[in-house]
Amino acid sequence: MILDLTMSMAVLALMGALATIAGCIEDLESDVGSQSNPNSQVQLAPQMGFLHRIYNKAISGEPISNGLSAVTGGLVTTVLLDAKFYALTAIVLGAFVAALIYGIFATTAYAGRVASQSRFKQPLYMDIMRYTTPSIIGHNFIVNFCLVAIAYIQYAILGYPFTIPFLALIWGISVGAIGSSVGDVHYGGEREFQNREFGCGLNTALSGRIVRRAESGLRNSIDNVWFCAKFGGPATGIALGLTVFFSSWPTTIWGYTWKAMGVGAIILAVMTIMNRLLEIQVKNAYGPYKEDKKEKEAGA
Amino acid sequence: MSDIKEISPNTLALFGIIGGLIGIYLSPYAPAAGSIGAICAVIWGAEAVRRVAKYGLGTGVPSIGQIALGMGIIAAMFGLAIVKDKILAGPIVSLITASVIGLIIGWFAQNVIKMKIPVMIRCMTEIAASGALIIIGYSASVAGNYEFNNIVNLVFDNGVILAVFWVGAVAMLHPFNACLGPDEKQQRLLYLAGSTGAITMALMGIAALMTLGLGGAITLVLGIILWLVFYKKFWDEVYKDAASVVGTGLIPKTEA
Repeated sequence: MILDLTMSMAVLALMGALATIAGCIEDLESDVGSQSNPNSQVQLAPQMGFLHRIYNKAISGEPISNGLSAVTGGLVTTVLLDAKFYALTAIVLGAFVAALIYGIFATTAYAGRVASQSRFKQPLYMDIMRYTTPSIIGHNFIVNFCLVAIAYIQYAILGYPFTIPFLALIWGISVGAIGSSVGDVHYGGEREFQNREFGCGLNTALSGRIVRRAESGLRNSIDNVWFCAKFGGPATGIALGLTVFFSSWPTTIWGYTWKAMGVGAIILAVMTIMNRLLEIQVKNAYGPYKEDKKEKEAGA
Repeated sequence: MSDIKEISPNTLALFGIIGGLIGIYLSPYAPAAGSIGAICAVIWGAEAVRRVAKYGLGTGVPSIGQIALGMGIIAAMFGLAIVKDKILAGPIVSLITASVIGLIIGWFAQNVIKMKIPVMIRCMTEIAASGALIIIGYSASVAGNYEFNNIVNLVFDNGVILAVFWVGAVAMLHPFNACLGPDEKQQRLLYLAGSTGAITMALMGIAALMTLGLGGAITLVLGIILWLVFYKKFWDEVYKDAASVVGTGLIPKTEA
């Protein structure tokens, strides 16, 4: 399909919006089940004697598990499109089937991990299983819907020479990788070690000593999402949305030309300089890490 | 726990190879058989992942699953394509090619990267071979047979191969990743491998609805039934193995 510039920009804006939502919800979804980075502390806690009521969703790393649900959604959508379903219906049904399968993997990961920690007396809480798994499925459905919709737009409107499952898989891996690198940073140290001084770093002696009690009652994974929705999720969403926008914007305006390549290189250079400036500013504000006397002695 | 008898790696390897090949060779007559063969290979592969990942590969478990299917897909396509009109030899040539690739990569990991995992070479060979069987098995149940051109038309061109590749890899790596821990048991892992393999089979059934029409419905329904059986078995093991399974409750008192 050949689009004029206005329509191209509209499609690009739509893709950027979908990617922003997908990135945000993906990070929150991984926090519901404490997947990826914070997962190691949740896994360690019972070994240190800290039994907890937090979901342990160790399907695999985030890029792989999100690739799984996205490619499943893409496959089911392709089958439904082939059967002459309306595009929107096909995408919704595909995303739903993928989210259900993802939910099944989540339950086996939680049950399997807890059952493998029986010597530490970690109980398997079925109420956690019952009300956290639907939340995981719901979040994952939104992610799948956005990603498969982007893949469909690329395939049907922009005329990419790849299939929907392929594009969806690439988007799934991307959203998982960005969610893992941007969003996790906000949950791990800040939420699980909230009773320590901010920025103290994670001493080996603290490993597994996660915060298990909430403001009222016992903390569970839903409390963690509430916390991450304030910053970690939106930051991830903006990261993915900007990635989509800035990587497609030059070619949308100038087409596949050297001029577009040059603009892309300039964007990259500006971002590198901005990152460096931010790094210098942070180093000036917080200073170098101060070693304790004991650590210095141990180092010597 | 050493007092519980485990199924030996050799028995599982035989189960995977023979079950996988029988399933693949039956796939032209009953496409669902290809997927059932692939489930045998998933169970074998998951156990091989378990043996190699027990040496402390925490985050390496997903990587092992991915490399398995990566080696598998190269070998599978090579094997199926190279035999030309001697179609019957295809799956076996693929299996041997995969084993050789796995052996070489295992040798590199052991002697060049120096990972110092005693079972590395053997397990790499096993997971590559099972990866090839997984790719051919699931592809055959979508394409209706294991002939190369047919697989290219019905599995590659429409992108189904990406689901075979990715979901097949997760089916193989998820069981150990999900059961990781000091009290991990082989039986629970094998049931979970059956469950993940059956989910993949159901998905292939959906894909086969597009390529084979109603023949795919059999794969879909059988996949769901097999999944229910294995999932139930997995939960029985969880109830048996877990310290306690409670509806709700406070955190039990410990020394900490």
